[in-house]
Amino acid sequence: MSSPASLASWPWRMVSFLLWYAKAFVLANVYVTLDVLRPKRRMRMSPAIIAVPAASASDTEWTLISCLITLTPGTLTLSISREHQILYVHGMFVDSREALVGEIQEMEDRMLRALRRSPGDLTRPTRLPDVVPGEETPGGEGR
Amino acid sequence: MELQGIMHGAGLVFIFLGIFTIIVAGLGLFRLPDLYLRASAVGTSAGLGVASIVLGALLMDFSWLNLLKALLAIIAQLLTSAVGSMAIARSGYLNNSRPAEITHTDDLIKTRRDSADSR
Repeated sequence: MSSPASLASWPWRMVSFLLWYAKAFVLANVYVTLDVLRPKRRMRMSPAIIAVPAASASDTEWTLISCLITLTPGTLTLSISREHQILYVHGMFVDSREALVGEIQEMEDRMLRALRRSPGDLTRPTRLPDVVPGEETPGGEGR
Repeated sequence: MELQGIMHGAGLVFIFLGIFTIIVAGLGLFRLPDLYLRASAVGTSAGLGVASIVLGALLMDFSWLNLLKALLAIIAQLLTSAVGSMAIARSGYLNNSRPAEITHTDDLIKTRRDSADSR
């Protein structure tokens, strides 16, 4: 399955993801800190809860991506739906749905490339499924 | 001797940076309007704040054993703070803590059983 070339680039992909994440982490910290310190009238917050289609497959990948999103200040995983492949992300600075979705999916792409020996399948559902509460199971969908 | 002085100074800088981050996060608790924004703001203190204090302490008293301890402490702190804020935010949502008025989109509301009548 995995060619020697992809195996050779694996450590490099891991290191580059760690560096990229460290940079994004520090930048997000600066943004949030600055916005808290701004006077109320000029705060740039526009929070939103967005359903982001995700490409993760295994338990490890789902856990890691939601932890990494939460760890970045300003974004917070509220819930996931593995059945519909959706991450529900609360964002602090969301100008548009596409902006947040792009940000999260870039992080997920990089994470999956670092995590998997060969990147494999990175496709996501393009259209958001209509998620409705389940019938009688307590808690229903999106637990 | 020279190197020790530089490391001591850098350690102090990191520790004060961490203290500043934690103070600002505390301010955020008062200034931000709802549970989810507050959880995001506290994330800065739990992540960067604690990590940079640990890093500063490591620089002031460096040894390879302390490096190992500091790495373990930072990783454990980051993991537990992420899981903790997700648990708090999710249980807040399940317990009807509505996002503040300025929240412009809420996709999660569609998954609620009572979304039709409680709005």
